[in-house]
Amino acid sequence: MHERLSFHIKRDSFIHNLNPLTKLVLTLTLILIAFTFPWYWTPHLLVLVAIIPLSLLGKVFREFSVTALRLILPAAGFLFLMQAFFQPVGSDVIFKFYFLDVTQESLMFAFRNAMRVFVMVSAFTLFLVTTHPSELMSDLTRRGLPGQFSYVIISTLQILPQIIAKSQTIIAAQRSRGLDTESSFFKRAGSLIPLVGPLVFGSLMEVEERAIAIEARGFTSKQTKTSLHEIPDPSFDQMLRWVLVALIILSIALNLWLS
Amino acid sequence: MAFVNLQNVTYKYPLTKAPVLQNVNLQVDEGEFVSIVGPNGAGKSTLCYALAGFVPHFFKGEISGSIEVDGKESSKSTLDEWVLNVGLAFQNPFNQISGAKYTVFEEIAFGLENIGVPREEMKSRVEDAMALTGIRDLADRSPYSLSGGQQQRVALTSILVMRPKLLVLDEPTSQMDPIGTREVFGTIRKMAEEGMTVVLVEHKMEWIAKFADRVIALKDGSVLLEGKPNEVLTSDLLVENGFGISRYTSTAREAKKQGIWKKESLPVTLDEAAEGFTK
Amino acid sequence: MLEKIKNNFNTQTWVLIPIAIGINIAVGQIVLVLKLPVFLDSIGTVMVAALCGPWAGALTGALSNVIWGIAIDPGALPWWPVAAMIGYMAGRMAQWGFFKSWWKVVVTGFVVALTAAIVSTPIAVYLFGGITASGSSFITAYLLQTGQGIWSAVVSTSFLTEPVDKITTAMIAFAIIQGLPKRTIGGYPKPEQVEAEGGTNKNQMYIAIGVVVVLVLFAAFMLRNILGG
Repeated sequence: MHERLSFHIKRDSFIHNLNPLTKLVLTLTLILIAFTFPWYWTPHLLVLVAIIPLSLLGKVFREFSVTALRLILPAAGFLFLMQAFFQPVGSDVIFKFYFLDVTQESLMFAFRNAMRVFVMVSAFTLFLVTTHPSELMSDLTRRGLPGQFSYVIISTLQILPQIIAKSQTIIAAQRSRGLDTESSFFKRAGSLIPLVGPLVFGSLMEVEERAIAIEARGFTSKQTKTSLHEIPDPSFDQMLRWVLVALIILSIALNLWLS
Repeated sequence: MAFVNLQNVTYKYPLTKAPVLQNVNLQVDEGEFVSIVGPNGAGKSTLCYALAGFVPHFFKGEISGSIEVDGKESSKSTLDEWVLNVGLAFQNPFNQISGAKYTVFEEIAFGLENIGVPREEMKSRVEDAMALTGIRDLADRSPYSLSGGQQQRVALTSILVMRPKLLVLDEPTSQMDPIGTREVFGTIRKMAEEGMTVVLVEHKMEWIAKFADRVIALKDGSVLLEGKPNEVLTSDLLVENGFGISRYTSTAREAKKQGIWKKESLPVTLDEAAEGFTK
Repeated sequence: MLEKIKNNFNTQTWVLIPIAIGINIAVGQIVLVLKLPVFLDSIGTVMVAALCGPWAGALTGALSNVIWGIAIDPGALPWWPVAAMIGYMAGRMAQWGFFKSWWKVVVTGFVVALTAAIVSTPIAVYLFGGITASGSSFITAYLLQTGQGIWSAVVSTSFLTEPVDKITTAMIAFAIIQGLPKRTIGGYPKPEQVEAEGGTNKNQMYIAIGVVVVLVLFAAFMLRNILGG
C-alpha cells in the first residue's frame, strides 16, 4: 500500500511536459492496440518498442521498473500460471499435472494474455508516474468535466491513505485486546463488527460537516469554474492525439475485418 | 436599517421536537464585531448556520421569522448565492479541509476557483489573504500535514479570501495556543475595522472583552442579554444561568464578597484584574 | 434522463463517495487479514446506492475498482464494469423499495449477485478465456476440465461464489445505515428509501447483523466442504 497514493514523480522530461489528456489518450491507445490488433506478438512488441522507450524518454525508467517488478509482474505471472494450467485448449500435451494438461496452445495463449495485462497495467503506471493527479483533473475540468469529479477523485486519493491508516490502527488495537486475527474462525467472524464499526461510523459522521465546509466555499456555485494552474495544450499535442485516435480505429477495424 | 437583521427567528431541525432557536431578534451594524456566548446547547452553532444560510437551506427543518443580511432576505435567496456574501468557518479544522487540493496555496484558492475568479486576481488574493493571517510560509505544505491550529488558520484564510461582507466564526481558535489566538483575534479586529461585519462564537472571555464591540448572551435558543463586553461578561445573570465566565471575573466576584475587591465593576481580563487588585 | 442522474448528486453525495470508496477498500483489506470466506469490498458502494441512487452507486463502484486497481491489485482494473453494475443495481433495488427491511435486503443482495455474475462473465471469457487471476478460477478450471463449456463453467462459478458475498455486503450496508442517527441520513438525496419498516431501526439493525453472522458461517461451512471433498 502506498502511503500517499500518488505515483507521480516530479521530473522535467518530454513526457512530463505533454498535456495530461494527450498522455491519457496515449495510454488508452497502447492498451487498446494490445488487446485488439490481430497479430500474436503485438503486446510483446509494444513493451519493447513503446513502453520501455517511453519510460526512458520520461526519465522514469528506474522507478517504473521497480513498480513493474513489484506490482505488475506478480499479477501477470499469476495469470500466466493459472491460464497455462487451467486453459483446456489444444491437444499437443507438453506435460501433465494431476488432472491438468499443459499444452503448447495453452502456454501460448497464457503468454499473450499475461503480456496484454502487462501492457495494460504498465501503460497505466507510466501515465500515473508522469502525470500529477491535480494537473489531469484541472485539464479535464477546463475541457468541461464537472468540477465535482475533480473533487471526488482527488479527495479519494487523499482520504484513502488516512482511512487505511485508521484501519491498520484498529487491527493493531483489536489484536492487543485479544481479538487475535489468528484465532478460531468464530472469533474472527465475531471480531468483524468491533473492527469495522468505529472506522465506518466515525467517517460517516463527518460527511455533513465536510459538505457544509465546501458549500461555504462555493462548491455548488453556478459560475463557470476557473483554475489556479494553467495547463498548456500546444498544437503538437492536439495533432498527436488525432494520430493516436486514428491508430486505435485502424487496430479495431483490422480486428473486426479479419475475424 | 441594520446590516444583519434577525426578526423573531424560530427554528426546529427535522425530526426533532423542540426548537433550537426561539424568537431570536438580533441586529448587527456594518463593520461591527459582535461576539456570541452561551452554555452548551444554547443554539450558538445553529445561529451561525442560520446567518450563513445553512439553516434552513442545507438542513431543511421548520423556520419562521426573517433573516436579512445586507438588505437581502435569506428565504428568498439560494445557498450558493448567499455564501458569496456570508462566510462561515467553524471549530473542527480537519473537516474544513476540502481534500481536493494538495497544497495550502491551492486549498485557499479552492473557493475562488469555484466562484470563477480569474487566475491572476486569484493568485494575488490568495497571497494577500495568507499575508493577513500569517501563513505565507505554509503555502507549499500539504494541508493534512499541519497542526490543528495551523489548519484552523488555513480554514479562516480560505473564507477570508472570498471577501465576504459578513464573517461568521464558530470557535475558530479552539485548537490554538494563546499567541495564535491573540494574532487571529487581531486579524479579525482589523477586518472589522476595514468594514467587514463579524459575528463570532467564542468561549475565551478575555479575548472577547479585549476585541469585540458587543456581546450577545444566548440561552436556550433566545437572547438573554446583550451589551458592551464588560457589562455582559461580568453580569450576575451569566453565573445564574450556567455560563462559563472568565476566571478573573469569578475571582474578583469572590473577592468582592470578602470586601477585597473595591471597584464597582468586575474585571474580565488579567490586566483589569491586576489593576483592580493593586488599587 | 439527465435530471434523473443529477438528482442522485448533492454535496453530501460528493463528500460521501470518497469515504465510501475508503470503506470498500479498508473493509476489503481487513477481511483479507481476517481470512474470512467473503470479499465484502462493496459495502460503501451499496450504501451510496441506497442513500443517493443508482447512478451515484455506479460511479462509486467504478471509481473504487479503478483506485483499488491502481493502489493494490492491478489485476482488478478490467472488472470496473462489474463494480459499477453492483452499485447501479443496488440503487435500483433501493428505488423499488427493497432496502427497507432485512428480508428485502436479502433479496437485494441476491439480485445484485446475479447481476454481478452476468456482467463479469463476458469479461472473464473475452479478456481471460474464462480463467482469471482470482482464486475462484480454481472452480472454473475444475468445471472446464470435467468437460463443461466455457460460458456455463464461468457462469456456474459466479453463481456459486457471488450470492453469499453480496447478500452479506447488502446486509452490512443496511445495518450501518439503520445504525446511523436519522438526522445524518436526512441530508442525502433519497433518505426515504432506507426508512425501516416492520420494527424499529435498531431491531432491523440487530436482525441484519444476525443474518450476516449466519451467512458468513454458512459460507465457511460450504467452503470447507468443497475444499475437503
